Amino acid sequence: MRLLLVEDHVPLADELMAGLTRLGYAVDWLADGRDALYQGQSEPYDLIILDLGLPGMSGIDVLKQWRTQGLATPVLILTARSSWSERIDGLKAGADDYVTKPFHPEELQLRVQALLRRSHGQANQPLLKSAGLHLDEARQCVIREGTEVQLTAAEFRLLRYFMLHPQQILSKSHLAEHLYDGETERDSNVLEVHVNHLRRKLGRAVVETRRGQGYIFGAVGQ
Amino acid sequence: MRSIQRRLSLGLVSVLLVAGLVVGQVSLWLFENGLQRYLESGLKNDSENLLIALSRGPQGLQLDERRLSPAYQRPFSGHYFSIEFGDTHWRSRSLWDAQLPRPSQPGLSSELQPGPEGQMLLVMRSDYQRLGQAVSISVAQDYTPIRESFKQVQQIGLGMGVFALVVILLLQRVTVRRALRPLETARKQIAQLQSGQRSQLDSRVPLELEPLVTQINHLLAHTEDNLKRSRNALGNLGHALKTPLAVLISLASDSRLAAYPEIQKTLREQLEHIQQRMSRELNRARLAGDALPGAQFDVDAELPGLLATLGMIHGEHLELSLNASPGLHLPWDREDMLELLGNLLDNACKWADAQVDLSVSQTPDGFLIEVQDDGPGIPEAKRDQVFSRGTRLDEQTSGHGLGLGIVRDIVDVWGGEMALETGSLGGLMVRIKLPGRTQKATTA
Repeated sequence: MRLLLVEDHVPLADELMAGLTRLGYAVDWLADGRDALYQGQSEPYDLIILDLGLPGMSGIDVLKQWRTQGLATPVLILTARSSWSERIDGLKAGADDYVTKPFHPEELQLRVQALLRRSHGQANQPLLKSAGLHLDEARQCVIREGTEVQLTAAEFRLLRYFMLHPQQILSKSHLAEHLYDGETERDSNVLEVHVNHLRRKLGRAVVETRRGQGYIFGAVGQ
Repeated sequence: MRSIQRRLSLGLVSVLLVAGLVVGQVSLWLFENGLQRYLESGLKNDSENLLIALSRGPQGLQLDERRLSPAYQRPFSGHYFSIEFGDTHWRSRSLWDAQLPRPSQPGLSSELQPGPEGQMLLVMRSDYQRLGQAVSISVAQDYTPIRESFKQVQQIGLGMGVFALVVILLLQRVTVRRALRPLETARKQIAQLQSGQRSQLDSRVPLELEPLVTQINHLLAHTEDNLKRSRNALGNLGHALKTPLAVLISLASDSRLAAYPEIQKTLREQLEHIQQRMSRELNRARLAGDALPGAQFDVDAELPGLLATLGMIHGEHLELSLNASPGLHLPWDREDMLELLGNLLDNACKWADAQVDLSVSQTPDGFLIEVQDDGPGIPEAKRDQVFSRGTRLDEQTSGHGLGLGIVRDIVDVWGGEMALETGSLGGLMVRIKLPGRTQKATTA
């Protein structure tokens, strides 16, 4: 899951980056509204966390432009403006959720998780369920036929992406774009290694390889 | 409160009455004076004629009857004389057996003298020397008919005066009403302003009213502008405080602090305290209250957006139902009202299992807002706690007490009443009664 964080307050951005990275999200950080307007459209983010009081261009304007230009990425507004009229303005501009500062880090993390699941048509339950697997996002482990299987951070990130996109062919470059932030070097061999680890832990059939196209998750279950 | 119309009528009536009476009375008096002068010259003529009629006869002076006017012969004709010289005393036959009072000094007597048959006599005495003898001749004329005609004139004059007064008053009423029509229009517009039906006064008014209307409009714009600026400043202050606070709250749950649970707990509690206090005070400071008389909240236009926002924040599993008569306008500031309803519904959504009901209705003496959910409700004993500052009934649901505290702040500013009850869905029902604006204006 690749997130864009647009926040001009550096200490808060640092805190958020640290927290979100711990949860296995690849996070890109921007502080200027104009940069965000461009990069939000040019990079394939799964979710955008947007502050409203931004230098360069206000968050509401950025969001409005994204929406008029057809960007469908879920956007969570994170702002100090807590009045209900401002919340309504945010929603009308095209936001999908609205969190006011100050907030508890867990609350934001849960809202991000819920919004990601909602945008992929998944119900908001404690565990992410897909193709017979139950993923515990808080503890970063997976439950298969009643037994708990531990995962490394990289495996967790990969599996979560697969589970949110079941029965879809995902190319290596697509996976790399969504699993790593803009500054990490993308090596497709590393991805192959992680897919193999997942297969070893959860059975070969969990991820199928479609030659020349990419991987598909949960195809056997159907 | 005194009306200008009544004041003008009263002033006009008193001025007209005083002026009319003075002018009428003075002209009557002048006329009567002139008339008496005229009568005086007639009487003088009469007494001179009598003097000529006096001639020397065999027994001294005698009166030549043939030269007397016949009016002196007819009894009580209204024309009388008496002649005195030495011990002799002649009276006209018209006096019959009455006496003509003799003025103490020559000339027209200043007062009317009583005469025969209830007549009032204008008496004049003239003293002459005739044939070596001092002769005093008094002539009199009945004044009663003139008096009576004067009285008649007075009555007619009074009647005409009253009639003219009534006509003038009616005309004045019409004129004043026409002249004051712009004032009446302005009064109606101010009433509309107060009930939230308009936000500015019509500036097309007569020259005299223009400064007033311009000033009121200016004040309204100024207040609105001020409110916007202070809200903006508060927003900036909030932003400046809340972002660092968010960093601190995040840091307080940092894993590096896990080794010091006491410090972590205190930090969290204190930060929580700051956050609640700040939110409530900032919200309170943002309230417009009664500052804008023209403000209004369009229920049909605003509530769908609010309900959609709440649905987005609390997830799709909640059913939010709205029960309000179409076209309802509440006479309060949009942001204040959104804050009130937003916090009420937000609170209900946090507690609800599946359903939240909002109903807004107009009552004879104001407006009634009811919000209820199908959650667990609040036991009666604990309801008071909800309003006390910073209290939270359920630590799991963040900011629970805070939301209702802000609602209470707003209701207090508006002079309304707020009660917590158990609703028909089994959960908490918040019932808010708000007084209507127009009613407030009339009772004030």
